[in-house]
Amino acid sequence: MFAYNAKLAFKSLNDRPSLTVLMVAAIAVGLGLFMTMLTLGHQSGKIPIPHISKQIHLIQLDNREVTADDAENFTDMVDLTYQDANNLLNMDIAGAEQALTWNTYGILNVEEQDIQPQRSSVVATNHAFFNMFEVPFLYGKGWDSDADQLGQAVIVLTKDSNDYLFGGINSVGQQVRLNTQVLTVIGVLDDWFLARKFYDRSYSQARPDQALIPSNFAFNNDLPRNARFDCWSTTTNPRKFTTNYLTELKTSECAWITFWAKLPNNTKDDYQAQLGQYIESQKNLGRFPRENQYFLTNINDQLSIIGSMGGRQQMLGMISYMFFAVCLINAVSILLAKFMRRTKEVSLRRALGAKKRTILQQHLIEVIFIGVIGGLFGIAFTYLGLQAMLRVSLYASDYTQTAADLMPYHRMDWEMVMMAFSVSVGCTLLVGLYPIWRICNVSPASQLKAQ
Amino acid sequence: MEFRPIFLSIKHNKAIAMLVIIQVAITLTVLSGSLLMTTSTLKEWNLPSGIPHDNIISAEPQFYDLDVDVRQSVVDDLARIKALPGVINASPATQRPFAAQGAQQVYLEATEEAQEYDTNIFTGDINLHKVLELTLIEGRFFRENEIITGKRDELSSTPPIVMISENMAKVLFPDGNALGKTIWMEKGGSPAEIIGIYSNFMNGEQLNYFGQSYRTVLQPLVTWQNRQDPSYLIRVEKGMAEGLLETIRNELYKIDGRYVNRVEVLSRIQKRMYDGRGSQSIMLLVISFVLLLITAFGMAGLVSFLVTQRQKQIGTRRALGATKWDVVRYFMLENGILSGIGIMIGLILSLVFTFVLTEDSGVNILDMSYIFATAFFIILINQLAVYFPAKKAANIEPAIVTRAA
Repeated sequence: MFAYNAKLAFKSLNDRPSLTVLMVAAIAVGLGLFMTMLTLGHQSGKIPIPHISKQIHLIQLDNREVTADDAENFTDMVDLTYQDANNLLNMDIAGAEQALTWNTYGILNVEEQDIQPQRSSVVATNHAFFNMFEVPFLYGKGWDSDADQLGQAVIVLTKDSNDYLFGGINSVGQQVRLNTQVLTVIGVLDDWFLARKFYDRSYSQARPDQALIPSNFAFNNDLPRNARFDCWSTTTNPRKFTTNYLTELKTSECAWITFWAKLPNNTKDDYQAQLGQYIESQKNLGRFPRENQYFLTNINDQLSIIGSMGGRQQMLGMISYMFFAVCLINAVSILLAKFMRRTKEVSLRRALGAKKRTILQQHLIEVIFIGVIGGLFGIAFTYLGLQAMLRVSLYASDYTQTAADLMPYHRMDWEMVMMAFSVSVGCTLLVGLYPIWRICNVSPASQLKAQ
Repeated sequence: MEFRPIFLSIKHNKAIAMLVIIQVAITLTVLSGSLLMTTSTLKEWNLPSGIPHDNIISAEPQFYDLDVDVRQSVVDDLARIKALPGVINASPATQRPFAAQGAQQVYLEATEEAQEYDTNIFTGDINLHKVLELTLIEGRFFRENEIITGKRDELSSTPPIVMISENMAKVLFPDGNALGKTIWMEKGGSPAEIIGIYSNFMNGEQLNYFGQSYRTVLQPLVTWQNRQDPSYLIRVEKGMAEGLLETIRNELYKIDGRYVNRVEVLSRIQKRMYDGRGSQSIMLLVISFVLLLITAFGMAGLVSFLVTQRQKQIGTRRALGATKWDVVRYFMLENGILSGIGIMIGLILSLVFTFVLTEDSGVNILDMSYIFATAFFIILINQLAVYFPAKKAANIEPAIVTRAA
């Protein structure tokens, strides 16, 4: 019976091919746009370093004035002051690793005259950074805690800047200049893809840093501090701290340093207790005038609070959902039209003894088949759509970004292919629900009477 | 008119009627939404620049060696650049047309409550207006001895004079006669007298987005700060720009301890300024077009189904003396009623949709005339999609009823 029903189903697909094509096209085009937006969201919403992301917490302490607004989550809260970051680093907390990061910039250059200097965004951090975030190394390794203490002139290059400055060779031990300071290369990173660059809280995509240096080296040489300074209202013009007034900044109540702690398993409670004690001890020194308040937010929570899509994508996303809805409604109409044309034939089959189930089976086969074909074409359209979006992004960035930078965000993976299929078949079934119900309820011989 | 039979048949085919209504409603929402977004992004798109942007080069050098004497190097740079064959003139600058950073404020009073006027402040020496080829409308240009030069935090005073663009003059002084008036560049700062008004030129993306493309102020000022050296705007002979980029870059590298960031023709910056929005709008338009096609074909498919279903009914009507036009009109009217209901619902949805978008972006994009135009267009497309199948149906021989029975 199944074979016969399948045969009937295929015959019916061939019956009015233009309607079949129209329906497959409607589903495929709608699915294509829908999946394009879904894939973009899926890829850019991926959690960086997912196997440890829940252990890695952003640490924020509320050192603000009494008059400051209450903070609901980490986005309203200030980061750490220089003194707090330093004190926390010096605290011995069992099982926890801690890293501070802030952004500076400068011109990386080498003695070699024919390699032009490169403007670079540089991460100032401490040795724990590499271990905590499981940063992959191509050559050499990160610096140690001594280098942190002394602010040694060492630098870790990313793969791209090593390629640019040293032609990709093992440059460990070579010298590179950041502005006019000479630093020794101690390590070169391998490709380190983060769907979102979380460590500097930019959560951005495809805007890489070029190098990493010890934070104390950056302080000793007064490198510019590319940060937002959240100061007490007594501090005038906090932006002055970007390039100047380092001594004042170090003792001020200006919060600007991003601070991370990796708290595996059950060390979080201990750590929180320590933070509480720390704030208490600082209160005795006349700091922290507000109620004890601190935030520990892991990477997953940060991303879910920020939301996975940007404004422009969100808008296109909204449109793509509605677009898909229109396509599906269209499909319902066409399917209804297709099925209802067959009322006579169905009522004859019913009169000859076919059960409702048989009729149901025949039409289900037909609908599922349409769903699969629509899914296949839909995946093809999704691929084209992603390629188009990639081109548009490249064009819009005036080719300052490369296709390789953006490719990870415009790639289909198996998860998405399976998703496309299930959405396609699921939606066609949903679409087929009403038409199938109508056709199954045709009463036997009702249409024959009229003849 | 045949309203009663239409309502009866709609009642009979409730499912299909619902489908048509929903489809029309959502199509209207999506179409008018993307149309509103497109028009709002393209509103200030590709406006005249007011300057010969194909023949102006911008270069952004930056010293990483802080011991270099910036004052002297600016003099040397300018002398060397101006000596290049093909270069007509050059001026130091802190802002570049099409890429002016952020928005600065000027005020008409010195008080704390003074109203803010967004603008972009461009600085340069006496050659800046020649580089940009600005026309003097009133007053005069800056003189050599009025240019203030120095490191920003060591300047003893800000220039006591400024020039403003024609458009800025109109904004600040709607009654005219801006010349000789006083403005403040910061609250509580020192006043500056307007000594001249020049022809408009494009500032940058940010103000352009808010429809304030030509608000500019010129200051006779050449300043720098650690790691923020002056850029150069360089006017070159027609057609020479592309060829000179590398030469100028090499010329700037002749002073050690510096990095030369971008040397590019202003037309490239102009392209960059509009590209993001342009490509986004084109994408939306393509999507809208495909959507419209799908809706039209879907509607045509649906009507041809309805028509085949009602062949007998049509035959009867024809046999009873209805003209072909009566039959076509019947279907078109039926579709018109359903579309009308759909449009009503779509209007509400569109308003909600636009409201959400406006909330998000902070820019009011609502323009009812676009929504009505889209609604009208959808009805038109639907009527066309109905017309052809209905006309085919009207060709049924009246005798078909009798024959089939």
